[in-house]
Amino acid sequence: MPAQGDDVAHIGVTLRPHRAYAAVVHGATVLPVEPVAPARADLEGVVAAAVGVALRAAPGGAGAVTVDLAPLLLDTLVRTEAEVPPVAAVRIVPRAATDPALARSPAELVERRIARRWTVAGGHDLLGNELTPLDGDGLALLCEELAGTGIRHVAIVAAGSQARPAHEREVADAILAAVPGARISVASDYGGQGLVAREATVVIDSALTALTERVLDRCERTLARLPGSLELRVARGDGGYSTPSRIRVTPVVAFGATEALELCGAAHLAGLDDCRVLLSRDGRPVAGEVRHGLAVVRPDVPVGIGTELVVPMAVLTGAPPDSYPGGADVPVIRPDAPPHVLACVGAAISQPASWLDEVAFIESAAELDHVRRDAEERATAMVMANGAAPGSTRVAEVSTVAVPYSPSGTIRIRVRVAGSPDTSLAGR
Amino acid sequence: MTGQPGYIGASASITAEDVPALYEGAKFYSPAVGDANRSSITSWLAGLLDRNGPVPLLRVEAVPPETACVSVCVLGSGSAMADLPPAGDEFEVAVRQIERLQRVSFGAVYPLAAATISALVAVVAAAQLRVPLLDADGMGRTFALIHHTAMHLSGVSPTPLAAVGPTGESVLVEVPSGPRADRMLRANVDTVGGWAALAAYPTTAGVLRRAALPGTVSRIANVGRLLLDRTDPDVLVTRLGTITGCRRVARGRIAELEHLSRPSDVTIPAHPSSLVIEETGGLGRQLRIELRSEIVAVFADGALVAGAPDLISLLDVSRGVLATLDSLEPGDLVDVLATPADAVWYSPRGMEMVGMASHGIPLAHPRRR
Repeated sequence: MPAQGDDVAHIGVTLRPHRAYAAVVHGATVLPVEPVAPARADLEGVVAAAVGVALRAAPGGAGAVTVDLAPLLLDTLVRTEAEVPPVAAVRIVPRAATDPALARSPAELVERRIARRWTVAGGHDLLGNELTPLDGDGLALLCEELAGTGIRHVAIVAAGSQARPAHEREVADAILAAVPGARISVASDYGGQGLVAREATVVIDSALTALTERVLDRCERTLARLPGSLELRVARGDGGYSTPSRIRVTPVVAFGATEALELCGAAHLAGLDDCRVLLSRDGRPVAGEVRHGLAVVRPDVPVGIGTELVVPMAVLTGAPPDSYPGGADVPVIRPDAPPHVLACVGAAISQPASWLDEVAFIESAAELDHVRRDAEERATAMVMANGAAPGSTRVAEVSTVAVPYSPSGTIRIRVRVAGSPDTSLAGR
Repeated sequence: MTGQPGYIGASASITAEDVPALYEGAKFYSPAVGDANRSSITSWLAGLLDRNGPVPLLRVEAVPPETACVSVCVLGSGSAMADLPPAGDEFEVAVRQIERLQRVSFGAVYPLAAATISALVAVVAAAQLRVPLLDADGMGRTFALIHHTAMHLSGVSPTPLAAVGPTGESVLVEVPSGPRADRMLRANVDTVGGWAALAAYPTTAGVLRRAALPGTVSRIANVGRLLLDRTDPDVLVTRLGTITGCRRVARGRIAELEHLSRPSDVTIPAHPSSLVIEETGGLGRQLRIELRSEIVAVFADGALVAGAPDLISLLDVSRGVLATLDSLEPGDLVDVLATPADAVWYSPRGMEMVGMASHGIPLAHPRRR
């Protein structure tokens, strides 16, 4: 059993391309960790130093280590020479694009990770009605060609798969039969809006799988060598955390976590649950928000990516320095601590979280209540799978809005659930 | 866009560099749908303009009156279009169908609505057909139904019209009445995936001189440039006011989203919803905002302060961008902006067609009280 309760400290780690940083948080005490030579500043050295700091800071030592993989993931994605496995992208839509720009991702960074593309006729509308039967002959040809390429990472997106994933699953099953051991990422696992955004999400997911596996293996070996029973957690883009086993199968969820962690870390250091945080990016002032202790997040275009993703993350927007637009109805803070310290603090204090973004169809207020309850229950199940203790979960945000210019009764529902850590998960 | 001598404040052509501003300005005039397909649509259009060259943007008066013109727009849901992107030929195919039917060759394209994605697909169609785009449209914003146009008010028929879905399937509609055309199209649009490329209101430039709303395409480009210049929201609203006449009604945080808040009118897509906003500072009022596919009324402490046909939009103060209606969250800090619509919509016939009563709110418009 891991150490738990008020007598333990938690460690937050952010992995940068050339070194790691850590901070230890014990109650209101925050201790940045700086390994002293000859200790190394890599993952292993920094975590070991952090555990030592935690042992001195808290009677129970360290309880959990939450790792922010995002800087490493982004660096790997951006560097053209980085070793990233080639990805096959499969679109399931009624018709193949007739314009080259519509046949590819608008983001060069995403497109260059795609070694081959296929389009298979099929797909559903937003409400799950089949538009075109899945083209069995096209699928058979795809499988035959894919098997000959040597590509083993496959990203699949089908129109309408959030509502009805049948075509995506059929294609995934056929590919697995043709290419045993293929690593497949399907867009229906992530929900969200927009085929291009959903495709970019699963392409990045596929591209990052091998790296994520390697880094998490390193993390687990590192923790296993250290004294005590340390629980490994992985920071998510929405500022929450998930278990390593979950992140291994959905690595894109860890993408873009740093910004949300910095916001939450700054709020924690200021002792605030609700605030606007002013930060600096490449010398430019940017701002983000924290509400009820959670970073405000949205599916958006992450900096440096060039297209939308469906996994939520904090989007920092340009802000006039020293000001809050229109006067502050919440405190505005400009943290003194460096960004990597904020990220480490945000990681150390993060909570298990989940996010759900779907389209549904309702015909009455009672049906709306039912749809909303169902979404909340599924998001709650997800957050428990991400490491929340039973009975500790809460719906942090829920939003249902009518989808404009759609048949009356079409709604978009988004649910965000957070919980308290389940400390019985160490070593899982 | 490059200035044309003697035509102050407008443009001579649309290039790939203009696409981001067009997109942002188009969103201002119809802030209903989010950005799930922004990068895809803008890269498609920019690529077309790079390959085929800039699209000339002409005043209707600059085109010979006998020139055959046709409008295009996206019919249906932007969310559906984001999830089922165009193959790319839908708008051109729709226009060609009417050309074949009428045995005419269109010499110019114009947007049915110079707002939302519909503004951009008009440029797409012009680039693909290699014809000029008219600096005019039928709505000056978006309304829910295809006969909610200045052309309809002037007696121009929307038909024959063609709707081509992303499935490649198409519908050709020939009916004498605009409202009938809309009703016939709705079911078909749902069947082909929730959206369709529409080509409608085939007519001549001579007719459009009196029937279309002028200058609305260059206007969205100008508005878009302001929006791209991310600045303090107070400054932004002031700048927008000089171009659009918009004013801030209030600033506040979204407290509540409520659905099915009124009986639904089956002729108007999207069910009625309400938004409750608590004003921060100022008078501390509680605002109730009535939504359909667009915002149709704003009440402050129970008093009507803005309503259709005003263009009512929400500016996300924290992020300095327009808040779209499909992504509102309780807790968001927003400016409620009201912008006058084009004058034609405040006429008795215009008000009857798109005013608040058409949305089940039979109150006099604030301008009329």
